[in-house]
This record gives sequence, structure tokens and C-alpha cells, in this order.
Amino acid sequence: MSNKSVSLGMALLLVVLSACSQSGGDKNGADNGGAASQPAEAASPSAEAETYDPFGKYPETITLTYGKSVDPTDNSLPGGDTPENNQYSRYILDNLNIDTKVTWQAASGTNYDQKVNLAISSSDLPDALVVKDTQLREMVKSGQLADLTEVFEQYASPAMKNFMEKTDGKSAEAVTFDGKMYAIPSIQVQSDGVHEMWIRKDWLDKLGLEPPKTMEDLEKVAKAFVEQDPDGNGKNDTIGIAGQQNGSKLYANFLESTNNTFGLDPIFGAYQSYPGYWLKDDSGNPVYGSILPETKEALGKLRDLYAEGLIDKEIGIRKSAYEPVVSGQAGIFFAPWWMGYGPLPDAIKNDPNANWQAYLLPLDAEGQFNAHMGAPSTLFVVVRKGYEHPEAVVKMLNMLVRDESKFDISVPIGYYPLRVPMSYTDESEYSAKALKEVLAGTKKPEDFADPGYKLLAADIQNVTKVKKQPYDDMDIDNWDPQADMGTWSRIYSLLVGSSPLEQDYNKVYSLLYSQTKTMESRWSNLKKLEDETFLKIIMGAAPLDDFDKFVADWKKQGGDKITEEVKAAIQ
Amino acid sequence: MRNRSFTKHYYVMLLPGLVWLALISIVPMFGIAIAFEDFNPGRGFFRSEWIGWDNFEYMFDLNDTVQIFGNTVFIAVMKIIANLVVPLVFAIMLNELRFTSMKRWIQTIVYLPHFLSWVILSGILLDIFSYTGPVNELLSIFGAEPILFFARADLFPYIVVGSDVWKEFGFNTIIYLAALTGINPSLYEAASIDGASRLRRIWHVTLPGLRTTIVLLAVLSLGNVLNAGFDQIFNLYNPLLYSSGDIIDTWVYREGLLNMQYGLATAVGLLKSVVSFILIVASYALASKFANYRIF
Repeated sequence: MSNKSVSLGMALLLVVLSACSQSGGDKNGADNGGAASQPAEAASPSAEAETYDPFGKYPETITLTYGKSVDPTDNSLPGGDTPENNQYSRYILDNLNIDTKVTWQAASGTNYDQKVNLAISSSDLPDALVVKDTQLREMVKSGQLADLTEVFEQYASPAMKNFMEKTDGKSAEAVTFDGKMYAIPSIQVQSDGVHEMWIRKDWLDKLGLEPPKTMEDLEKVAKAFVEQDPDGNGKNDTIGIAGQQNGSKLYANFLESTNNTFGLDPIFGAYQSYPGYWLKDDSGNPVYGSILPETKEALGKLRDLYAEGLIDKEIGIRKSAYEPVVSGQAGIFFAPWWMGYGPLPDAIKNDPNANWQAYLLPLDAEGQFNAHMGAPSTLFVVVRKGYEHPEAVVKMLNMLVRDESKFDISVPIGYYPLRVPMSYTDESEYSAKALKEVLAGTKKPEDFADPGYKLLAADIQNVTKVKKQPYDDMDIDNWDPQADMGTWSRIYSLLVGSSPLEQDYNKVYSLLYSQTKTMESRWSNLKKLEDETFLKIIMGAAPLDDFDKFVADWKKQGGDKITEEVKAAIQ
Repeated sequence: MRNRSFTKHYYVMLLPGLVWLALISIVPMFGIAIAFEDFNPGRGFFRSEWIGWDNFEYMFDLNDTVQIFGNTVFIAVMKIIANLVVPLVFAIMLNELRFTSMKRWIQTIVYLPHFLSWVILSGILLDIFSYTGPVNELLSIFGAEPILFFARADLFPYIVVGSDVWKEFGFNTIIYLAALTGINPSLYEAASIDGASRLRRIWHVTLPGLRTTIVLLAVLSLGNVLNAGFDQIFNLYNPLLYSSGDIIDTWVYREGLLNMQYGLATAVGLLKSVVSFILIVASYALASKFANYRIF
């Protein structure tokens, strides 16, 4: 706003000056209609170009308050730096003259969500926040948010607009209500939603096994991991398949469709079951994946695996799912491509030979890998209604997109104020492929010039810092994590985690990634029913046939009505 | 005390407490209007849509409601009883100890856990009762299969009550010990001259001497029948334990703060308050009748 008035002031000044020079002594330029309008028009294009500069630095320092989610286990900040004052916030202050202030901070995940919910319910909002879909809807409904339609149009950098367009309008749709844009969506790499099998290849080698292709193989391998002492410490303390921690999800769902670390999503996929997703049945009507017979079949299998002791006994109860992976107890877990960022760095610090590799496995009976895909946007940056500089947020994100590759990522990028992921949806697969081609010498770094793949140039430059010869062997002994842990995290995630995604696999999308009206009041209750029943079935606390009772209850307690609403929503 | 000028400064001393009470307890009471509204935080509770009893109707429609009220009463009543009996027995035993220095030591040690928050204690409990924790190691010495304590809905209420008693009994013991000092020693002397054994003396002198205190504490704890201990259960439970461990407060928290169902959560909370209020009034009546206890 102040920028606008500055430019208006400048335009007026020009008017006054030109008016002065023309009529000599007439001080009221605005009254001097004819003479005034011409120079004003002439002046405005240049003034406007400056005003709408996506990276324009404010002449005066402005303040922006925001709520921050922090990873409580992270200790990468150098001495004296805080989540509020660190290399990223100083970069923003130096380059944009925006002073970012943390109003409150909370541990990432549930704690942060609660804090946001509390801020919404009390209408006590910082200037900007990163929120989830349900929270965005609540805030729009409550009229708490600034309309960003104009500022986004004016200030968003071409790169950011380009990312938005690449999602076929899905991202724009997620933030548009009654034709107005109320948030800036994250644009996530689609690989965030694909859960792969991560497995200790050194254990496989030691026991003379192959990566498990089918569910039968998986069972055999898990059994071997549990019974044959793969870590060789003489104790019966290994876990076959690790599971999610207390409060986390067994599988990603349509509302939280990505980054479900340590869930068991691919095992459901191997039975062509997609619990938590809205699917089309044979007649083309929407149906909820959790109530289908395939899900019962998958649950039955999981129940058997658990009874045999092949799945972590403390699935869903553990305080931290990272722990068994870091301590070298677990042999298999399911998670997206970015495990190089965590927990693997800690895991290889404990055991430098822990050779975690990723595969798109297990396959279903037809030999296909089924993955449920995430929504392209799951996080949203919102601005409080009445904040004077809504464009500041757009500028900060512009700069994040432009300069992300330049940052020293030994301090995690999560410390960038209001950071949400922004990239082409195929960025990680594309980058992995490019890196391999450059390493193999079949392509040159110059062949990858699209600046939209914002980190690729830096990745290509850094790759040999951490990847040792031979370049086509991804086993852990051909890496040098100590050279630069930050770089290792990224390159390992790409070359090991994203490479499998270049294969063809069956992508299953949810018909819907947001809530309908009845869901607002009924969903949490249905969700509780689902969570409780499924976990109990798997852990043997309830018979498998409780599934049928769950289906009946689910339908009766609002599920049928919601299904009707979903049908209406997708038409 | 009859002298007015003498009592005045008591009122002044009361003032900060009253201001605090008004700000923290009375002003927010107007928020109960949310229970009758389709609450919209942007509009606040003056302008949100008034929907009457809809939230309550939906509440009674939910299967959860019966379950959470049942769980709450079950856990809370067990806690009330255990927290009356255990400290009483312990206080009497302490009272019979001959070495006073030992008595002080024990008293101090047992009430220490009272000062730890549930956030810390629950972390310790989760470790102690974990699959590879000390309790299961002990069990395995006796050849028993390890038990996943926090996956067993049937055991959870007892873990909750047991740990609560462990945390609080030392502190509650102090109240009984204070009452014990009020018993006239000559009664004990008379009893022993009459040839009463230790147990007899406890039965005929100590317990009758404590009767009013016991009745009073029992009656006053009635108001807590719907308080099963939010911070304790919240830090210990998981979805597997909902069927026996989900209480009104945890449910209200999840529904209201996590799922943003403000109206519904307030309705349930309000119902809880109404029931608790009735119980408190009743307990006060009972207290004045049986223990001759009066506030006003």
C-alpha cells in the first residue's frame, strides 16, 4: 500500500513540476486538468514498473509477523542464530528490507496445526501463516484473509506463475473461492506423494536375499530380517517392517495426501486398495477407498504379518518412528523420496554401512506398482485481512524460488520464513535423470538450462562432491556423506530416492482433495472410527470381520451422505 | 474479628483474587453461547449464527458421547476411591513409625512426584511400560510373554488410575497426617492402658478421629466425577485406547481444537459443566450434613 502511495506521490510530484514549468507559478497541478493528465500518464508506466517489481526492495524497513513451525530435533543453526533470526531472515531483510518477526513458534506437525487452529478460533492472527487445506477453508469462511488476487497478478515472478500453470489449474483452484485468490499454494513435486519401499540392502546382501518383488517375497524378507540377526549383534532385536508413530497415519488420505513417512501405503497398494482416497467404482460413482473389499484383504494380510512379528510391535504407539531406523533396528520402511534429508543422515552417522535403498515395491498380483498420488498443493501461505503489505509475502516467495539454489543448506531451508515447497511437479524425477546423465557423460550440464528446475544447476555442480566412483553404483560405500552433509542429503534423495520414479507405475488420484459440507461436522468422527478399527484389526485387538461392522457404521453415521456430496462436488 | 476496621484489609487482600477470578473464570463464561451457535471465529460469538439446540442433538446422536461419558465416570470414580484409600492407609502406617526422621524422609520422597508435570511423567511411563521396557523385562524373568501395555484398551484405565495414585498419594497423605496430629494423645494412652493392641488402637482411636476428614474429602471430590485428568490421558493415549481411554476432555480437545468443531465441543463441555455443577452443589449439601462443613 505504501508503495502505491509513494508512486502516486511521485506521479503527483511530476504533475506539479511539469505544471509549474508550463504555467509558471500555478502550484495546484491537479486543478490544471489538461496539462496535468498528460505527464501523469507518461510517468505512470515507469513508476508502475518499479512498484510491481517482484523483487523490489522496500525503501523503508517493513515488519511482517508470522507463526513458525520448527523441527525441535534440528540443531543445525549456528550459535546465536534463532528460528527468527538466521541466514534466511537476514537475507530477506538485506534484499527486500522486510523484517520478519516470529509471533509464536511450535513444533512442526500436530503442535503447529493446533497453534494455527487456536489462532484462527481466537481471531488472533499474525500477518502471515502457512496453513493446511481445512484451515484455509475455515479462514476464508470466517473472512479472516486478505484477497491476494491482485497482488499475485502484479507481483508474482514469472517462475512462480509458471509453476502454477504446470498443475493444470489444480493449484489455482485450491486457493480460489468465489473467484478470489485467498492464498499462495505450495506447488509440490508429485514424488512427495509416492511412498516407496526403503530397505537395508546390506542386510539383504548379508542374508543372500533379493529386494522383495511381491507380497510373498516381502513376507520372506521381513521374516529373515527378524529371525536371522541381520545386524549381527547376536541379539534378537531387529524389526522387519517399521511403522508409523503415535499420532501419525497408517496411510495418506485425501486431505493429507503426501509425505506420509513410515505409513504402510504401498502394502495397501499391492492389494489395489487405496484407503482414505475417493475412487470411482465400476459404474463411475464415487466410493470411499477405505470401505472396499480390497482394503479388507490388505488389512487381513497386515494382521497376519503383525501376528507373525514382522511388523513393528509398537506400530502406532512409538513416540518416534525415526528411532528404530536411526538406531539400526529396522530393515524396511515406507516413505517418499526425500529420506536423505532425514532420518538417513542420522542412521548413517550411527552405522556408516547402513545401505538404505529405495524401490517401487511391492507389486500387486498383476506385477504392477500402485501409488496413490497427492494433491499438487497441500500447504498454503495466507495473509491476514488488513495487513498493509500483502505483496511482501509474494516477494519473499519469489525470492525463495529464485535463490533457493544459492543458499547454504546446511541450515535447513525450512528456516526460510513462510517457506512452502515450490517447483515443477516432476522436479525430483527430472533432476535424478539429469544427474545420472551428466554423471554418465551422455549429457552436459548446459543441456539443462530451464531455470524452473531451480536447484538442478547447483546439483550438477555439487554431485561429485559426495558421489564417488563408480557413478552408476548407488550403494552407500560409493558415497562420501562427510564431505558435505547438506549436499549429500539432497543428492542421495534424488539419485536413490527419486530414480525409481522414472519407471512406469500406476498413478491413482483421489477424486477430491478437500472437504464437503457434511464432512466439516462428521468427518472427524468417521475418521476416528476408521483409525481405531484398522489399527485394532492389524494389531489383533479386534477380529478381521469387525471391518464389515465398520463399513456399516461408516455408511450409517454420515458416510453415505458424504458420498452423495462428493458425487455432486465432482460433477 | 468482629472489629470492622480489623477485617477491612482482608477484603483488600481478597481483591486480586477476585479480579483474577472474574477475568479468568467468569468473563470467559459468556463463551458458552458458542454451544448454541454455528460458531464462526471471524464474526465472534456476538454475530455467529444462532442454531439453538442443534449441537446438542447432534451430540446425543453420536455413538461417542455415551462412550466418553462412560469412560470418564469409570476412570474418575476409580481415581476418587483410590486417592481416598491409599493415602489414608499410608498415613496411618507412617503415623505408626517410631523413627521420626525416617518418617520425614519418606513423606518427602513420596510427595515428590506431585511436583512433576504429566508431560514428563507420561514420557517416563511410556518408557517403563514399553515393549522392551523394564516392566516387560521383569515379566520375562518370570517367563511371561511381553505385553504391549499401550495397545491394551482393557488395561489402560488401570494404568491411568495406578499412575495417578502413585503421583498424588504422597501429597494427599499430608492432609491425613495433619488430621492425625489433631487426635488427642491421651486417647491412645487410655487405650493402651486398657490393653488395646496396635490394630485395636488404629481401629478405635485413629479411624474415628479421622472420620470427619475422610467424609469431607470424599464428599468434596464428588465434583470431580467428570474430571478424569486431561493432561495425563492426553499424554498417554493413542487411537487403540479410545474405546476405554477417551474421556470428555480429550474428546472436546480433539473435536474443538483439532477439528475446529467449536460449537459441538462447547456443547459437550457445557454438558459436562452442568453435570459437575449439580454434583458440586450436592456434595456441598452432603458435606454440611455429614461432616458439618460449611463455606458460607
